[in-house]
Amino acid sequence: MKRLLVASILALFASAAAAENVKVGALYPLSGNAASAGAQTKAAIELAVEIINGQHPDVKGMPGTGLPGLNGGKIEVTFADHQGNPSTGQSQALRLIQQDKVTALIGAYQSSVTFASTAVAERYGIPFVVGDSVAANITGRGFKYVFRVTPVATDFAYNYLDFLKDVAATGQPVKNLAIVYENTDYGTSIADTLRKVIKERGFELTADIPYNANTTDVSSQVLQLKDKKPDAVIFVSYTADTILYMRTLKQLDYRPPVVIGDDSGFSDPAFIKNVGTISQGAVNRSAWDIGKPGSVTAKINELFKAKTGFDLDDTSGRNMQAMFVLADAINRAGSGKSDAIRDALKVTDLKPDQLMMGYKGVKFDDTGQNTLAATYLIQLQGDQYVAVWPARSATAKLQIPYKGW
Amino acid sequence: MRWLGIVIGAAFLLYPWLVTDDFYARTGADVLLAAIGASAWNILGGYAGQISVGHAMFFGIGAYLPLLAYSHMGLPPVAGVPLAIVISLGFAIVVGLPTFRLHGHYFSMATIAVAELVRIVIGNWDFVGAATGLMGPAVSRTWLDLSFRSPIPYYYLFLAVLAGLLLLTWHLQRSRMGYYWRAIRAGERPARSLGVRVARYKLYALLLSAAFTSLAGSLYSLMVGFIDPESGFGILRSVEMIIIAALGGAGTLFGPLLGAVLLIPLQTVTNSLFGGGGSGLTYIIYGGIIVVLARFEPGGLLDLWRRASQWWSRRRETVTVRHAA
Repeated sequence: MKRLLVASILALFASAAAAENVKVGALYPLSGNAASAGAQTKAAIELAVEIINGQHPDVKGMPGTGLPGLNGGKIEVTFADHQGNPSTGQSQALRLIQQDKVTALIGAYQSSVTFASTAVAERYGIPFVVGDSVAANITGRGFKYVFRVTPVATDFAYNYLDFLKDVAATGQPVKNLAIVYENTDYGTSIADTLRKVIKERGFELTADIPYNANTTDVSSQVLQLKDKKPDAVIFVSYTADTILYMRTLKQLDYRPPVVIGDDSGFSDPAFIKNVGTISQGAVNRSAWDIGKPGSVTAKINELFKAKTGFDLDDTSGRNMQAMFVLADAINRAGSGKSDAIRDALKVTDLKPDQLMMGYKGVKFDDTGQNTLAATYLIQLQGDQYVAVWPARSATAKLQIPYKGW
Repeated sequence: MRWLGIVIGAAFLLYPWLVTDDFYARTGADVLLAAIGASAWNILGGYAGQISVGHAMFFGIGAYLPLLAYSHMGLPPVAGVPLAIVISLGFAIVVGLPTFRLHGHYFSMATIAVAELVRIVIGNWDFVGAATGLMGPAVSRTWLDLSFRSPIPYYYLFLAVLAGLLLLTWHLQRSRMGYYWRAIRAGERPARSLGVRVARYKLYALLLSAAFTSLAGSLYSLMVGFIDPESGFGILRSVEMIIIAALGGAGTLFGPLLGAVLLIPLQTVTNSLFGGGGSGLTYIIYGGIIVVLARFEPGGLLDLWRRASQWWSRRRETVTVRHAA
């Protein structure tokens, strides 16, 4: 007992003598209907912090690792649950800033909460790194303390069309496109962006098909596609409806030449499990790729799997990447002062080999948006997705046209 | 009794100066805002006994109009507040006339349906920001934008509105209309047979209730500076008003305020203590309290207080009587 007491007193002194730690607040939906995404993200951020604080020396090359700039200081993360509620997001941001004395924030999954809580951070002069909220106008409000690492809807749209241009170059005609999207927030906002970019890039939009994600029958939508014969179809769908579409395509024996799915439903493990065998060749986006065995990303995935039992997913990966970007800035700032961290974030310049995600780099413009954000395209071949685009990061050859079943 | 009132009043006035940081001041503002919403609901749901589960529709209209005025016309958000009240009143008439033909649960269900319908329409309507929602001025252009860094100005704004609302409610509950409402709550048919014009007085209650719920929504979006269909028109918004009013005591003047004073800090404290762990304990505790209350104290805490003080005075009387004997 006595020895324990002495040891703990010693430990107390040791930590007091060490350099100052930097406190970061993390706002995520840890309860409510996005709780599962929130929990995965929490684990990913905890892992990032372990790596940054030097607990996994075998993961090399991530910026800020070991925090040499802090002279032995560490990063401490405090999590807060905003329950998916914008007002709670604001009050929890206030709590983190005022009571936990965090000097930087990261978050917040739902775009609505990110909108509201970044406003608080801005008023208090606390840098806020946005990991995964994609609503367009989170940046561009004249804020000086908001930095967004993730690609947004326009980035995805440009990526799809660049990809289709490359496909056209192989001799497969790609001119007439169709978009099929679920008719709420997610689907309509992506569809709006796609429509603009399709026009801008000189493609034709031959079918524009919104539908209700809770529907139990999509044969009329598929018949519409079959009638219009587009060269490529882009689906913006959740899980159950994605599965329904794949089954209906087979029932009505229609194979669009190119099938692109926008993350979400196509990324859900249930998709491959249920309709993987009849959706061969479906293309999907993901900025996360596990990579070859032995690579840094494979090691990160291994650690994540040991911690949670799941493979790392795109959303958690983008948040984890944001934590590394923040750590890099804190390291360069050499202190936990908010303004120093913000100034360091402003001049962030990370190269692709310093990133775990498939971005072309991290460099913020005046609005705080990462101008080098991008995504990989992956294709379902056999029972798993493989990276097929862009060519420099491809691990397998693109199979066109869509094979289906 | 009077000194208790003075102490409580002074506590509300001085609260922002008694706490050490903005987080507590913000929680105080959240409490007052919830109290305004629940007190507004209380006029219709408590006094007149018409349990509306669709009040989010008025809250949402109140919350959207200021930000619409800002984002489409560049006006200070506060300019949208009067228009929001007018539209809410219009909605109240359109919704109230047919739904008031329904009674009890059927009325409640109809109000849910209408509010959900409005939510879905708003979520698909580009002019009002569709599913993404609308933003207010993040940084104040003039003081008229009412975009403050500190929560304290909001606290006093909310306190003033709440005081006005409670004063009006106090006045009404002692007026003829207040008695009519209670008669309607006790039973529509007997009330009608005694000459109360039921439809008219129910509509009056709805109009007042809608106007103040709309005002609560406007105050919300002035403070938060952001609104989307879920936080404006979501069913949880209506449910929160009902729970708070029922917890404190529906149909009493201070019941909704008491409910808000207990529930909002409870929510915030449980979330702050346990939320970061990600275990969802917040909702378990929150839900548990509601279940216990619904089972054992359906009349709300003020009812408990009333019975306790009655018991106490009866006891004293018996004691006095015994002494006299």
